[in-house]
This record gives sequence, C-alpha cells and structure tokens, in this order.
Amino acid sequence: MPQFEQVSVFGSLIFWSLISFGLLFFILKKFAFPPILEALEEREKKIRSDIENSEKLKEEAQEIKKELEETLKAARGKAETILQLAHDEGKKLQEKSLQETEAKVRQIQKDAEQEIQSSRNKLLQEIRSYTAALTIASTEKFLKKVLDDADKKRLVEESIEQVIEELEKRQNN
Amino acid sequence: MESPLHHFEVHTLIPIHIGGLDLSINNAVVAMWVGLAIIVGAFMLVVSRGISPIPGKLQSILEIALEFIRNLVFEFIGEEEGKKYVPFIASLFLFILACNLIGLVPGSYTITSQVVVTGTFACGIFIMTLVIGFSKHGMGFFGILVPPGVPKIMIPLMVPIEIVSMLARPISLAVRLFANMTAGHTILAVLFGLAMTSPLWVSWMPFGFTVVINGLEIAIAFIQAYIFTTLTCVYIGDVVKLH
Repeated sequence: MPQFEQVSVFGSLIFWSLISFGLLFFILKKFAFPPILEALEEREKKIRSDIENSEKLKEEAQEIKKELEETLKAARGKAETILQLAHDEGKKLQEKSLQETEAKVRQIQKDAEQEIQSSRNKLLQEIRSYTAALTIASTEKFLKKVLDDADKKRLVEESIEQVIEELEKRQNN
Repeated sequence: MESPLHHFEVHTLIPIHIGGLDLSINNAVVAMWVGLAIIVGAFMLVVSRGISPIPGKLQSILEIALEFIRNLVFEFIGEEEGKKYVPFIASLFLFILACNLIGLVPGSYTITSQVVVTGTFACGIFIMTLVIGFSKHGMGFFGILVPPGVPKIMIPLMVPIEIVSMLARPISLAVRLFANMTAGHTILAVLFGLAMTSPLWVSWMPFGFTVVINGLEIAIAFIQAYIFTTLTCVYIGDVVKLH
C-alpha cells in the first residue's frame, strides 16, 4: 500500500497539508467568516424580533377586539334601555293625552248641557210672554168686551198663573 | 492490469529539499491546493460582492454550510463556549470536504487517503483538546478520566479504561477517514479496471457500477467530513464541559 510504503513523501505531505490548512483557516477566519456569521446572526435576530413583534401586535389586536366587543355590548345595552324608556314615555304620553281628551269631551258635554238648559229657560220665558199676549187677545175676543185696565191686568195675571201652573204640572208629570 | 492501489502513489512534481527534510511539491499537494482554492474563491467571491440580507445562490450555499457547522458546534460545545471554535471547526470541515471531493475528479489525488495526513490532523486535534482541557480546568482536567457516578472502588479500573479510550480517539479519527477514502477509491479503481479489461458485452456492468459508486463516493465525501468535524466537536465539548 503506497500510503504506508512511500515514507519519503510523508514529510512533505504533513508539512504542506498543515501549512495549507493553516492558510485556509487564517484567510477564512480573517476575511470570510465574520461578515457571513454576522449576517446570519443579524438575520436570526431580525426574524426573532419580527416574530415577537407580530405576536405582540396580535395580542394587542386581540385586546382591542375584546374592548370593542365590550363597548359594543355596553352600547347595545344602553340602546335597549333608551328604547325601553322611550317606549314607556310614549305610553305615558298616550295615556295622558287620552285622559285630557276625555276631560275635554266631558267639559264640552257639560257646556252643551248648560247651553241647552239656558236655551230652554229662554224659550220658556218667550213662551210665557207669547202666551200672555195670546191669552189677552183671545180673552178680549171671547168676552167681546173691553175691560178696564185693572180688570185687564188681573185677568192677565190670572190666566198667566193658570198657564204656568198648567205647564209646571205637565213638566212635573 | 494496473494495480488498483497504483493511483495512491505520490509523484513529486517540484523537488524542494530544506536541510534534511523533503518538502517537495507533489501531485497530492497540488490536488489539495486546487480544492482549497475553490473553497477560498467561493468565499471571497461572496464576501467581495458584499453580504446582502437577501442571499444569492452561492451566498445561500455558504450560509447553509456555516450555519450547519455553527449549530453543530453549539450543540456539542455549547453556545457561549462554542462561538470561538466555529471558525476552526468550519475550516476543518471545508478542508476535509474539499480534499475528499477534489479526489473524485479523475487524475487528481485524495490527500485524505494518506494516513499520515489524517493522522496529523487527528493528533493535532487530540493535542488541542488536551491543551484546552488543562488551560480551562487545570489539574481538575484529570477528572475526565473518572466518569461521573462511578463508585470509588471502580476508579482503579476505570482510569486505565478511560485512558485507552482517550488514546483511541485520535487513532479512530485518523483511520476512519483514511480507510473510507482509500476503500472507496480502491473499489472505483477495481471496477474501472474490470470495465477497461473485459470484453464490451461484460464491461458495461462494472462501468455502470463505477458510475453508481461515484455517486456514493460523493455522499461519503460529505459524510466523512461531517463525521470528522462532529467528532472533533464532541472531543472539544468533552474537555470543555468535563463530562
């Protein structure tokens, strides 16, 4: 096997391989590895911080969502209360206006009744005066005799009294 | 037919003799340089272009390789302690990978199939772990010879066992890489020799196998580089953490 037999080349193989490795190590360590390793570390750091940031943002977003949901819930509750209040108020208002209307109607009815009553009284008064004239006229004609003023007056009074009595009697009946 | 081990022979290209030492540049060394030049070239190209936050294809490959090794180091040595070993472990991985892969190019040489080279690296790593251990723990480093939880009566038995297992580490590290590379290339040489010497109606079979085995060898080049660096991490991690 040449690897064990060619003893003469061992020295140069050991020497050159060590020198070459040393040179490779020196060049790579000095020029090549630092920038590449730095870039690797920087990228790792960036990725880690990006992931952390995104996780933080996610948490924040979830918090905001929760808050919004709570606010929405509160707003919905408030709206419901307001609606309920408005409903109650409306009902109250409706009742009130109904009562007012009823009172008004009652008032109008009362007024109308009063007016009717006064008209009736007036009418009765008028009837009384007409009846007096009529009685006088008819009595004059009936007796075909002119009475003196004293008689006239007495007769009129009597017949009026009579008529009124008659009317009242009828009314009472 | 040429010996399947023939291509493991080293041929001197530029003879250099300093003192009594033969430091000639041979085909193995040149192949290694080509592999390393590709690695350095790739890194320099990426760095000179400027590291962009959104990596291109080549930058992605190098970043993946470095990240992979960094995670390996962090896993076995620990994040705080491991940081300073990342360049060394990464260089080691890239060196072995480049040597393993460049050897698969026909006509080149796999320097990791030389047991003296793998042995040198394994011994170097072994000595390095000892230096790290003693500088970190002082005399307390000898505690590595006594696994935790061992009853006191077992210590006289455990210490020699641990010493043997410690010493076996560089040997196994060196032999594993060397044997894998040698075996793979030998199989390729045997199969290709069969393909070249047999008649055409037979030769397609061993030739087909060389294609398949070549693919396998590429995987083995990666796996062996990975194993070598992983074990290095484990050994360093052991002496850093002391169990």
